[in-house]
Amino acid sequence: MIADIKHEDFPKAESAVPTELVESQLPSLLIVDKLSLTLAGNKILQRVDFSLPKEGVTSVIGPSGAGKSSLLRCLNGLETCWSGTVVVDGKDIRQWRGGWDQLRRYVGLIAQKPVVFNASIRANVCFGIHGWRQRRRADELVEKSLRQAALWNEVKDRLDAPATTLSMGQQQRLCIARAIAIKPKVLLLDEPTASLDPRSKQLIEQSMLQLAKDIPLLCVTHDLEQAQRLKGRTVFMCDGRVIEQADCDQLFKQPQCIETREFLRWSVCDCD
Amino acid sequence: MSLLPIQHRDALSKGMVLLFALPALLIPTTVLCYIFWQAMPVLSLSFVFGSADGIGFGVTEGVFPQLVGSLLLAVMACLIAIPFALATALYHRTYATPRQQRWLNTLFTMLQGIPPIVFGLCGLVVLVNLFAWGVSLLSGAVVLAVVVLPLLVLNTLATLERIPLAYSEAGSALGLGKGAIIWRLWLPRCWLQLLTGLLLAMARALSETAPLMFTATVFSGVVWPDSIFSPVTTLQTHIFYLAQEGNDPLVISIAWGSAAVLVLLVASFGLLARLLQKLGAH
Repeated sequence: MIADIKHEDFPKAESAVPTELVESQLPSLLIVDKLSLTLAGNKILQRVDFSLPKEGVTSVIGPSGAGKSSLLRCLNGLETCWSGTVVVDGKDIRQWRGGWDQLRRYVGLIAQKPVVFNASIRANVCFGIHGWRQRRRADELVEKSLRQAALWNEVKDRLDAPATTLSMGQQQRLCIARAIAIKPKVLLLDEPTASLDPRSKQLIEQSMLQLAKDIPLLCVTHDLEQAQRLKGRTVFMCDGRVIEQADCDQLFKQPQCIETREFLRWSVCDCD
Repeated sequence: MSLLPIQHRDALSKGMVLLFALPALLIPTTVLCYIFWQAMPVLSLSFVFGSADGIGFGVTEGVFPQLVGSLLLAVMACLIAIPFALATALYHRTYATPRQQRWLNTLFTMLQGIPPIVFGLCGLVVLVNLFAWGVSLLSGAVVLAVVVLPLLVLNTLATLERIPLAYSEAGSALGLGKGAIIWRLWLPRCWLQLLTGLLLAMARALSETAPLMFTATVFSGVVWPDSIFSPVTTLQTHIFYLAQEGNDPLVISIAWGSAAVLVLLVASFGLLARLLQKLGAH
């Protein structure tokens, strides 16, 4: 239970860090156990443990270089040279049927900078769609995905226009629509609103909250206010480790670890 | 410490650069002007598009058969080389280990430096004699394909390397396999740049003479090839032949005329490549 995380003396991260799996009220869809990643001799992730409930938003916060984006890349299979265990829907992702490509259809990832393909808006949304059944109802799927990404009203009259003509905020929402069109069971978002204007940020947050009713979202963010707006659970990472994880309100109001407190107050973390 | 004030040092530096840069610009320009000056008396539409009966070797008629022969060889060579170059570059970019990539880079950089006459000699032994294809369009095109292959591979690699990693990763994140990323993301994105590389390779093929002399061309008796197993005449070897008849002023001016046509042909490929490059950048 979340209440188990009690450190009255605010221990340093190296000592008794509360990284044990915190059970949620909801059953977990994704469980990460002792995930470690080393790239070019640098320890990027160190024995990361956490679990993702079957619905709602889980925000990952932490300073730059904490390993947040690398964590998402490991979960999506873009990084494969890690150790530990990642279980999605009861299956170890290393033994995933169909390999990493199939896993990526199950665990979608939206990058920090929107990347649209050199094609129309419609073609971009349909890019990951496989199989004749889904292709036959592509128009329906395009509309549904664009509505979920809060973009439909802005592009419904120009679906065949090049996707590159959209603004940055619209392109990011198009990327969200493209990712949800393949119906992933988990969606990972890597700072989806970084460097976007407030209006686009608001629209994307609304879209995320809407989506979170159907699928669990794991969202990396530098914006602490955004993490609070998204509610759900919050995981605080520093120096490649999970320092603390709890419900959003509890973590922001009553952080258990001194590192979390320092980060929330000064936006710095002294884990080294 | 320098004795000159800073503005004089700058002027001196600029002067030194210009001293070597200007000749590098002026000499080729002068050569080009000289070619067209010498070619002026014979250059006309009837010279470029005039047909021949194969008897006068282009001395009394136009150079159209030679022009077509050169183009046929260059186009065929590039058509043969494209799949190999594309496959090699795609293998290098997607499947090769870093060690294999280093090997491939070294190999193709080295191959690019091998004199084409060596490939011509190999073509003579293997294609002309061993395979009994004879001195023919096909033998010449295959040899030219080998000559332009390293250039095509390196151009294709440079094009593929310009595709941002985030673009490919966005495809991977959607569950696209390597094949789908190649066909659905990379090629639609960079086909214009690939075409630019192809045109540059064709320009290079048009400039080659030595390997064709062993494998593809004859100096007389042929106007149009009957099949891919027939020999052809080309502008390059035509100039070579005419230049040897240096005593006759008419023959020499026709050699200059042929050279001007060849230069225009190569330049037009270069200009087209540049145009495509600009289009690709937009």
